[in-house]
Amino acid sequence: MSGPRVDRSLVQHVAKLSSLSISDAEADKLATELAKIVQYVAQLEELDVSGVPPTAHVQMDRMPLRADEPRPCLSHEEALAGAPRVENDGFAVTSFVEEK
Amino acid sequence: MIVGDVVASVHRGERTAEAVCLEMLAGIEARDGSLHSFLHVAKDAALEQARSVDEKRKSGRPLGSLAGVPIAIKDAICTRGIPTTAGSKILSGWVPPYDAGVVERLKAADAVLIGKTNMDEFAMGSSNENSAYGPARNPWDTTRTPGGSSGGSAAAVAARLAPCALGSDTGGSIRQPAALTGTVGIKPTYGRVSRYGLIAFASSLDQVGPFATDVRGAARVLSVIAGHDARDATSLDAPVPDLVAACDRDVKGLRIGVPDEYFAEGLDPEVGASVRAAIGGLEKRGCIVKPVKLPHTRYAVATYYVLATAEASSNLARFDGVRYGLRVDPRRDLRAMYGATRDAGFGPEVKRRILLGTFVLSSGYYDAYYLRAQKVRTLVRRDFEAALREVDVLCSPVSPTPAFRLGERVDDPLAMYLSDVYTLPASLAGVPAMSVPCTPTKSGLPVGLQIVARPLDEATMLAVATACEQLYPAALAPS
Repeated sequence: MSGPRVDRSLVQHVAKLSSLSISDAEADKLATELAKIVQYVAQLEELDVSGVPPTAHVQMDRMPLRADEPRPCLSHEEALAGAPRVENDGFAVTSFVEEK
Repeated sequence: MIVGDVVASVHRGERTAEAVCLEMLAGIEARDGSLHSFLHVAKDAALEQARSVDEKRKSGRPLGSLAGVPIAIKDAICTRGIPTTAGSKILSGWVPPYDAGVVERLKAADAVLIGKTNMDEFAMGSSNENSAYGPARNPWDTTRTPGGSSGGSAAAVAARLAPCALGSDTGGSIRQPAALTGTVGIKPTYGRVSRYGLIAFASSLDQVGPFATDVRGAARVLSVIAGHDARDATSLDAPVPDLVAACDRDVKGLRIGVPDEYFAEGLDPEVGASVRAAIGGLEKRGCIVKPVKLPHTRYAVATYYVLATAEASSNLARFDGVRYGLRVDPRRDLRAMYGATRDAGFGPEVKRRILLGTFVLSSGYYDAYYLRAQKVRTLVRRDFEAALREVDVLCSPVSPTPAFRLGERVDDPLAMYLSDVYTLPASLAGVPAMSVPCTPTKSGLPVGLQIVARPLDEATMLAVATACEQLYPAALAPS
C-alpha cells in the first residue's frame, strides 16, 4: 500500500472533522510534518496480523460496571462556575438555530 | 530531604509540617525562577493544610502515612480550588470544582500539596517544550530539558524543591524525565492507580505515578495512591501489598531479563555502559541475568503514535469553549466558535496529534491504521507475557540518550517521538515500569535504569530498584 497523499486538502478535511480552524499556510506545514509521520507509521504493514485480535484496552476483560445508583455530584453552581458564558442558569453559546 | 525522614520527624514532633512547608516554599521562591518547574505555587492552601496536620498531631489524632510531606502535583491532575491547566492555554485560569482520586488520597494521608508542575501541553511531548507556558529546565544543566511530559515534577524533585511529586505516564512521561533528572519515577500497572480527575490524553495508556528522591519515598507515595476507585471503570480491584516493606526484599535468585532490542543502534554508548554496569551490579547481588527477546519493540513507536493520537483526538473533543476554559467566538455560528477556540487554545503539537488521530480513525483509513495498530499492540503485549514467564523483571535503558539540549529536537516531531522507543512498549503492554538512577555520564548527566515487572508486581520491581539504589548511593542532587 502506497498510503494516502497527505496534502493541504486532506489536512483541511481532517481539520474540519476535528473542529479545528487552520489557515492554508498552517495546513501546508502540517501536511509536510504529517506526511513524514504517516510514512513512518506505514511500517506496521510489514507485519502479518491475520488472526491476531486487537487490544483496545489491557483490562478489557475485567472492566466491571458500577451499580446504577444515584450519587451526589457537582452542584449546579459548581458546574457552571468555569463556563465562559452563562445565561438563564445554563451554558450560553452563539445561537445556532437560524431565526426566520 | 527525603519522604521517610519528613514523615518520621513530623510524627515524632521534631519538626512541624508548617516548618517543612515553609522551607519548601522558600526553596521554590529562591530557585524555581531559573527552572520553571512550577506553573502554580499553592502557598496559602499548602500552609493551611500543613497547619491542619500540626493541629491533628497536637490533638492526638492519628497521622497519615505522608504526614507533612510536601508534594508537587503535575498540572494534568485536578485539584479543587487550585488552578489546573494541563500546560495548555485552553485551560488558562481554570479552577477545578473537584479533586482527582489521587489527590483525595494524598490529602487523606496528610500530605501537603505545594503546587502544580509544568508539563508538555496535555502531556504530549518528551521535552517540556510543548508547555504553553514555556519549558521547565533540567537542574543538572539548565540549557537542557528535564524530559517530558512530566518534566516539571521531575525538575522539582531533582532540585529538591519537593521530596516527591505526582506525574502521569502515557508513553514514558514519568520514566523518561526521571531518568533525565536522576530521580526515581514509577509508572504503575495500568489500572493500579485511579485516573479519576486526571485530564485524559490516551485513556487506555494513561497512568498516574510518583516521583521521589529515593525508591522508598516513591514506594510510600505509590502505596497511598494505589487501589480501587469505582469512579474509574479501568481501576483494578486488587489488593495493594506493603510496597515500602517490599523495598527490603532480598533480590538474590531473582531472574533479570535483558532485551537485546533495547541496546540497539541509536543508544548512546555511555548510557548503554552505565545501564550494563547497573545490571552487572545486580548480578553481583545474586540476581540471575539472562538475555530475552521482545521482537516487536521496533514497531512500538508507530503503534503508539496511532493509538495514542486516536484516543487523544477523541478525548480532546471536549475542549470546545462551552463549559470551561477559553472561548474565542467570532459570533458567526457554533462551528466557527469551536474552530476558533481550538485554534487559539491548542499549541502546534496538540493540533498535530489531534489531526493524526482523527485521520487514523477517519472513514477509509480506520482499518489500515487504527485497527492494525491495535493488533500490533497485541503482539507487543505477547512479547512481554512471554519474556516475563522466563524472568521476574526486565532491565534496560529508559532513554537512548541523556538529557538533550532545549531546542535540539523541536523542529523534528518524528525524531522527538523516536526518543520514546524504550518506554512505549511497557505502556502498550500495561505492565509496571520504573526508572532508577545509575552511574551518570562523564559530563555528569543522569542516566536511568528501567525496570519492568509483571502486571501488579510493583513489589518485585521496587526490590530490584532498591538494590540498584544501594549500588549507587551517591545522593544524586545537582549542585
